[in-house]
Order: sequence, then C-alpha cells, then structure tokens
Amino acid sequence: MRMFKPFVVPVVALAMLAGSFGAVQAAPDTVKIGNIIPLSGPSASVGIQGKQARQMAVDEINSAGGIKALGGAKLELLFADSKGDPTVGVTEAERMINSEKVHLLTGCWNSAVTYPATQVAERYGIPFIVPVSVRDTITERGFKNVFRIAAKDGWWAKDQFVFLDDMKKEFNVDVKKVAFVYENGDWGVGFAEKWAELAKERGYEVVLNEPYPSTASDLTPVVIKLKRAKPDVVFMTSNAADAILLTNTMAEMKVNVKAIISSGGGHADPSFLAAAGQNAEYLFDIVEWEADLNRPGLKETNDKYKQLYGHNLNGESVDAYAAMYVIKEALEQAGSTEPEALRKTLSEIQVCGGKVGLLAYDCIDFDESGQNKNASLVIVQTRTKGKEMDRITVWPKNVRRAGYTPVFPQPEK
Amino acid sequence: MLGIIEAMINGILMGSIYGLTAVGLTLIFGVMKVINFAHGSILMVGMFAAYWFVILTGWNPYFAIPVVVPLLFWFGYSMQSVIIKPIFEAEKDVREPITVIIVTTGIWYVLDNLALMIFGAEFRVAKTSVTGKVFEFYEMYFLLPKVIGAGITLVCGIYLYWFLKHSKMGKAIRATSLDREAASLMGIKQAKIYNVAFGLGSACCGMAACVLIPFYYVYPTVGVPFDIKAFIIVVLGGLGSIPGAILGGIIVGIIENVGAQFMAATWTELLLYGVFLFVLLVKPSGLFGQKHDY
Repeated sequence: MRMFKPFVVPVVALAMLAGSFGAVQAAPDTVKIGNIIPLSGPSASVGIQGKQARQMAVDEINSAGGIKALGGAKLELLFADSKGDPTVGVTEAERMINSEKVHLLTGCWNSAVTYPATQVAERYGIPFIVPVSVRDTITERGFKNVFRIAAKDGWWAKDQFVFLDDMKKEFNVDVKKVAFVYENGDWGVGFAEKWAELAKERGYEVVLNEPYPSTASDLTPVVIKLKRAKPDVVFMTSNAADAILLTNTMAEMKVNVKAIISSGGGHADPSFLAAAGQNAEYLFDIVEWEADLNRPGLKETNDKYKQLYGHNLNGESVDAYAAMYVIKEALEQAGSTEPEALRKTLSEIQVCGGKVGLLAYDCIDFDESGQNKNASLVIVQTRTKGKEMDRITVWPKNVRRAGYTPVFPQPEK
Repeated sequence: MLGIIEAMINGILMGSIYGLTAVGLTLIFGVMKVINFAHGSILMVGMFAAYWFVILTGWNPYFAIPVVVPLLFWFGYSMQSVIIKPIFEAEKDVREPITVIIVTTGIWYVLDNLALMIFGAEFRVAKTSVTGKVFEFYEMYFLLPKVIGAGITLVCGIYLYWFLKHSKMGKAIRATSLDREAASLMGIKQAKIYNVAFGLGSACCGMAACVLIPFYYVYPTVGVPFDIKAFIIVVLGGLGSIPGAILGGIIVGIIENVGAQFMAATWTELLLYGVFLFVLLVKPSGLFGQKHDY
C-alpha cells in the first residue's frame, strides 16, 4: 500500500482535470444568473424585495418555456448576500464568477457595493446588469460589461431641483434656504455633490450640509442641528433604518420646514412607511416608478406580486423584474451564453413593451457607456390613507394622479 | 447656545441608556474576567422579547420589565451554566480563559443569525403609549421615553451598587471577583456566583431593552452598534465598576451629541474612538477601574 501513496495525489488531480474539461464542452441547459444584493443589514428589506421580483420574473420565464434559442434552457438564480458591505460584494462577485461559473451578474442596490463589484465583472468579462444603483461613476469608467437600467444620480438630483422650481411656481411660494442631510456612503455623497452645484446655480443658501453614518444608533444630534438651521426645504438621502429614525425624530422635535424632498432608497422602502407612519406625511420622494402610474400591464403585474409577497412593487423590484426580461431577450437574440456574445447583444439591444412596458417609459436601450438612455423619474407625495400611508405621483404634471393636488408647503406641526 | 444645552441634555439622557447596556458587560467582566462578545445579542433577544410583549398585549412597554428582566436573567443564567461553564472547568487553572471569549463570539453569531432566520431582516417598530411624546422646556424638546429611560438607569445603578455593597450575594460576588480561590476557600460556590453574575448582566440588558423599545427599532443585528459602544464605555469607566459604566455612558452620549453640533455627524464617531484611544493611553484602567492587575 505504501508505494501507492506518491501516486494518489497526481492521479486524483488528473481525474479532476479530465472531468472539468468534460463539463465545459457540454451545452448549458440552465443559464446561471448571479445576484449580489443586501439580504441583511440596513438595506435588507429592499434587497429581499429585489430577490422576490427576480424570482417572480424567472418563474414566469421558465414556465413559459425558458430560452427558446438555447433549446428551452431554464434560468437559474443564485443569490449572494452583500450585507451592504463593498468588501463582501467583491468577494461574492469573485466567488460567483470563479466557483459558481455564472453567465451573468446583477446587483447590488447599494452604489458603494456596485462600484467595486462591477469592476470585478469587467476584469473577467462577465456582463453585469445594474437595475438600480445610481452613482454616476458606475457607468463612467469606460467599462464595456456594465449595463444600468435606472437613471444616474445626476439626473435624479437635477429632477429634484426642477420639481422644486415647478412647485414654487405652481403654489407661489418662495424658497431661499436649503439643507442637505444624507448618508455618508457613495450614494449620499454623490447626491450631495450634485445638490451643492445645483443649489449654487439657482442661488439657494445652503444652511446645513450634514453627512451622517447610516448605522448610527442615535440621530438626535443631526435633527437638533437641522432644527437650529431653520431651512425652508430639506433634501435627504437615506437608507431605510436611518430614514425611520430621522423622520420619527424630526416629527417628535417638531422640525417645521416647507417641504422635505427625499431621494428614494430607504424612503421608498415599504418598511419605512410602516414604521414612520403619519410622521412621513407630506414627504416628497423621487423614484423611477410608482404603483399608480398609468402603464400597460402594470396593475396585473403589481397585483400578482402583491398576492405572492404581501406588498406593492417599488423602483428596485420593478427594475430587477425588467432586468430579468432584458436578460431573456439578450439570450434569445444572442443564441449563446458566451460572455462576449452576450455583452455585444446587450450593448445593441432595444427591449420595448411587453413586461418592460410597465416601467415609466417605453424602451430599455443602453448607450455606449452602458447607461439606459430612456430612464426617467417621477416624484410622489406621501399621504395617509386610512390606516396605511399612500404614495401619490405628483410630478411631472402629466403623470400626476387624477384629482390630487399636492400640498406645498406642508402645514406646521 | 440653546442648541448646545439641548444637545448636552440629550447626550446625558441617551448616554445613561448606553450606560445601562454597559453595566451588564462590566459586571460580567468584573466578576468572571470574561469579555462577553455575545452581550449585544443578549440585548437583541431582550428587545425582541419586549417587542413581542408590547405587540401581543398592547400594554405599556414598562409593564414588560417584570416579564423581560427575569426572562433574560434566566437566559443568561442558563447560557452560562450550560455553554460556558464546561469551558471554565476545562481551563480551571487559567486566570483568564481565552477560550471563553471565543465561545461568546460564537454565541453572538449563532444568536444573530438565528434571529435573522426566524424573524427576518426587516426593521420593526413598536407603537406604544409613550412613543413620540416629548417634553417641551424653553423651546428645547426631549423625548419622553428617553427621560424615563434615564430615570430607570439611575434607579438600576443605585440598586445594583447597594446590592453589591450590602447584600450577602452581592458581597459573595465581589469576593469572587477579587480572588476566586480565596472566595471558594471561604465557602462561596464559584460556579453558582458565575451563573448569578451572568444572569444579572443579562437582566441589565433586559432592562435596557424595555427602555429602548419605545423609541428604537428592532432587527436581528441591533445588538452590534450598542455592543461596540458598550465596550468603549466599559473601558472608559473602568472594567468591573458600575458607576464607571454609567458615567462612561453619559460621557459617550455627551461627546456624540455635543460633538455633532460642531462637526458633521460622520466625524463624531471618529471623535468617540479618538477619546477612547486617549483614555487607553493615559489611564488604561479607566476612570474608576482598579489600578493594579492581579
């Protein structure tokens, strides 16, 4: 027996090598899609909704026969929890590409995680679809494998200020002093930079510029400062947990401002509305999508989702859902799972109508930097509706919910 | 000026609540010389217990105290006697068993992830009769649950101090913390004292949990930010000293609140850790800690 020992390791290694060659040659009957999203931590509830939306889309695609161009291949979703942490996101991206051998990646909700994770995908040449991570720089690095569906944060910030201009005109209210309160990660800081430029252009006085850590256990000091600064309008960018703390504390400390304009993310999260309740009344939020938009097929899809998971779709889940259909189209058109073929198809593809039609615009079409040209935004106002809070689309004026007049400025507490 | 006073008072209020979470930690360390990394998770268990109590019965959260505190006492007691005691027996001759620290870290991960699996990751807020009520005082606003919380901390602190100084069990606990061999020579059962000390430490967490529920949200990893603050406070105040823990908590609260008035909230965390390092350099045993190490 002893003399076989030196041969054991080389023989096993040779067998594994031979085996792995065999695996590569076989045609895939499942297409593996890796999804890196926060399933725990401050952004967990949005991450979980993204997971549910993807699940719903893939179940629909698979039961309709899978990818016909690949002989009915089914889509398989693999999920990795980024915990909202960039280093975890990078490790998971590496693991998905190298161990799980995924054909495509999607993710990661938090811009701070998406930025380095897409870099990993670019290095390995695996296409990465970003449903909603708004930091501009994600598609400004000259990468070829990154495709983003939602609008860039520069567009979000600009729309927030244009909305304010429109509200000032419509209600004949003057606004001089603005305050910025934002989480101190990539996302919040990106917004704050744009806000500062836009405020300067329009001649607003910035009375407070306050970044804060999203995981803080107590945000009372921030609210005290905000109250003392006496702004007319507050711009916020928060994750769900801090949005809850800030909104509740602002209501408790009776912070009176003309309007609060938030930037989606935590403020668009159903768990924020459930936890803040009436304290969130009159809040304006900017999102790429809302459940009351007048779009074909929207009501049926939303009802189905609500029945399965108990709450409405929102921006992230809708973009994740659309991302799965974009992937399906790309696979059908490319007819292969080769990364380069997929990448080329995605850069030229134009996906219109059908399941993608429930977005706020008609087609998804990526430009040379990977940004979806047609992405657009809407602003909603939060009002009480019986026991729950309702988000009502108010801007642009042509998509405003019929019969509703926005409340601006908000009444004193 | 008014802003600074408001911040100062808010700092004292929130700081005493931080101090309450730290009291349990300092007690466990003072007696057993064990750094309990599962402390945050015990707080999390307490908060979930208080949350479910309020949701299921709809009563005032302070009525949860007689339920949650004994529950957590029992929880800590059994955790110590079932999981940690065997490690102590295995490392009988070592003064500071390091394996116990590793075990408590393991308990931390197990509890947090168990909670994640059972309760899910969402943030839950309990709406109670005291939620959102404020005290107004010369245009300064203070949250009622925080004021009540600070009051409860003071009462607990005084009670614990009296308990340790004058009651029989308290004296036994102090004796064990000073020298466990000598204490067992005097007829004090070391294992029982450890169980009681761990139970007491967990009960403090239970009290803190009931105090936090009216204004804070619960989720599986809620223990982590409080745990980190608790460690800073315990070092600041001196390991094993209860007045030190409460005072340390108040100092941390003041730094957090008043510091934020002069710089962006992002920097106050830096300030906090800076002060922590400074205290370690200048007076490593903390404000009230023992000077010598035996």
